[in-house]
Amino acid sequence: MASIQLEGVTKRFGRVVAVQGLTLHVREGELLTLLGPSGCGKTTTLRLVAGFVTPEEGRICFGTRDVTHLPPEHRNVGIVFQNYALFPHMTVAQNVAFGLEVRGIATSQVRSRVSEILERVQLRGLEDRYPHQLSGGQQQRVALARALVINPQVLLLDEPLANLDAKLREEMRFYIRDLQREFGITTIYVTHDQAEAMVLADRIALLRDGVLQQVAPPEEIYRRPQSRWVADFVGLCNFLPGRVLGREDGLLVVDTPAGVVRCSGAVEANRVLVCVRPESLRPHLGGRNRIVGVVRERTFLGNLLDLRVACPAGLMLRVQLSPSEDARPGEPLQLEFRPEDAWAVAEDS
Amino acid sequence: MAHAAELGRRELRRPLWSVRPAVLLLLPAGLFLVVFFLVPYLNMVRMSFLTKAQGAAFTNVMTLENYLRVLGDAFYWRVIGRTFWLAGLATVFTVLLGYPLAYAIARASGPRRPILLMLLLAPLLVGAVVRSYGWMILLGRVGLINQMLRALGWREAELMYNTLGVLIGLVHVYLPFMVLAVAGALEQIQADVELAARSLGASPWRTFWRVTWPLSLPGVFSGGILVFVLALSAYVIPILLGGNNVLVMPMLVVQMLLDAFNWPLGSAMAMVLFGLACAVLWAYVKVMNRALRWIPR
Repeated sequence: MASIQLEGVTKRFGRVVAVQGLTLHVREGELLTLLGPSGCGKTTTLRLVAGFVTPEEGRICFGTRDVTHLPPEHRNVGIVFQNYALFPHMTVAQNVAFGLEVRGIATSQVRSRVSEILERVQLRGLEDRYPHQLSGGQQQRVALARALVINPQVLLLDEPLANLDAKLREEMRFYIRDLQREFGITTIYVTHDQAEAMVLADRIALLRDGVLQQVAPPEEIYRRPQSRWVADFVGLCNFLPGRVLGREDGLLVVDTPAGVVRCSGAVEANRVLVCVRPESLRPHLGGRNRIVGVVRERTFLGNLLDLRVACPAGLMLRVQLSPSEDARPGEPLQLEFRPEDAWAVAEDS
Repeated sequence: MAHAAELGRRELRRPLWSVRPAVLLLLPAGLFLVVFFLVPYLNMVRMSFLTKAQGAAFTNVMTLENYLRVLGDAFYWRVIGRTFWLAGLATVFTVLLGYPLAYAIARASGPRRPILLMLLLAPLLVGAVVRSYGWMILLGRVGLINQMLRALGWREAELMYNTLGVLIGLVHVYLPFMVLAVAGALEQIQADVELAARSLGASPWRTFWRVTWPLSLPGVFSGGILVFVLALSAYVIPILLGGNNVLVMPMLVVQMLLDAFNWPLGSAMAMVLFGLACAVLWAYVKVMNRALRWIPR
């Protein structure tokens, strides 16, 4: 087990910068998800850690050991690929045994460790199947077993659930989470699915165009985004542009087109965007942050009502109410939000 | 719903001739093969059981004598053995020479790939006859290589009118078939599978032997069948580069048909070669299927 440190890592492919000046510390035993839109450099980051590509600049360390120029076979890293990358010409047992065999471990010991790990991932009885004879979920677990059986220092998962159907994906999230906790292994998990990141991560690292945007626990990312882009990328968000009038009881007082509101935030800037999540806007809270608008659109989502509410100065707010708080198109609606549920970011962020 | 039902009804009431367009597509090639391959071949089978006649190609008297002559003569068996041996050697050498080339083509990126492919396929534009003459210019007693050897004060080498010359010709002409088959198989291998092996602790060489090579075997095997069959039936190359020193079955068959004018015996020889080739291929496919039992069927 080891922590992973990336220090100012830059990787270019020709003229394209895939990862730029990335400094990231993954703590021992932590599960960190790399989240970002496709092409943001998250898979490249994973490949840098695995040793499939080497950075032009910067250092990569496992614990105190510099592995920047170490080939992958000497890094002791377990990887699960998006397409699983199982060896199609080997049975389940042979796939899992591969990493042990190349380490020159005695056959009897290989056999016992393989059956032990297959037990762990509930694949006993499928030892002699070939990968193409397995379901997607089973292949996924073979890939996990193969990566874990070598007792890697670090576990890397590259969108491991992307090829599974929705129900299985949901199950596997918790399965992987439990397995990772059980092994206590330092893990980097790449995904573009924020729900997956939220469920799994101790911390989320958000990447955009090869540049790190924010590293924080899921709740902090959601509630205290560092920039407009982060707020926009993770979940739904309304932005009220405004000017900071002053500070009061640790809150910012912001003048917006919808009126003066109070919100939390840690910005120095004068021009800000107040981020309010759709579920933070409620009809009756009895607070001071009040916006009046007219319901324009109403969509029934089962557990939620999704509304678009037209407010002063052309502002259109996305509001999600519980179906018991119904509102019809054309009706006026008074919305309120608590200052601690609104977060200001610099306007130019 | 009504629309779907209407469509279904229309499908059921299609005229007979439009039910299976695939059959229609197969028809031209099928007809061609029947007229120009199957019929002559069946005729040859029939002929191999007929009797040679004086002043005519054959008479309609059924006999097994042609087969008994071929199978009972040690001379023919030696030639058959040599034919298979040469085809086998040619196959092995096309693998040895072709595999690295196929690997380079499969892994080449950018403009290098089409260039390599073009270089590989360009010789196919020139017929086997011309290429064999080309080799004669290089390999002959007064050929380029021997001139150079003499100029360097070395002994002249026997490069032609022997097994070596025929082998060089066969390997050269059939190499592209092997390379294309192997490159195709190599391209099918997911890059991540090799990376997975590396991450599990395998060196690049180990990754090749445990992952890349076994996964490319389908290409090696199918290329092998192609080269083996082509080399087995090669006529021009052995006759030009081997002369009469390297007798193979196709040469004997042609001699028997055209020079000796013994159509029944020539046909029987061709049939024996065909039958043995089928037997060898059957065994080969058996072995291949065992080695490739991981492939989904």
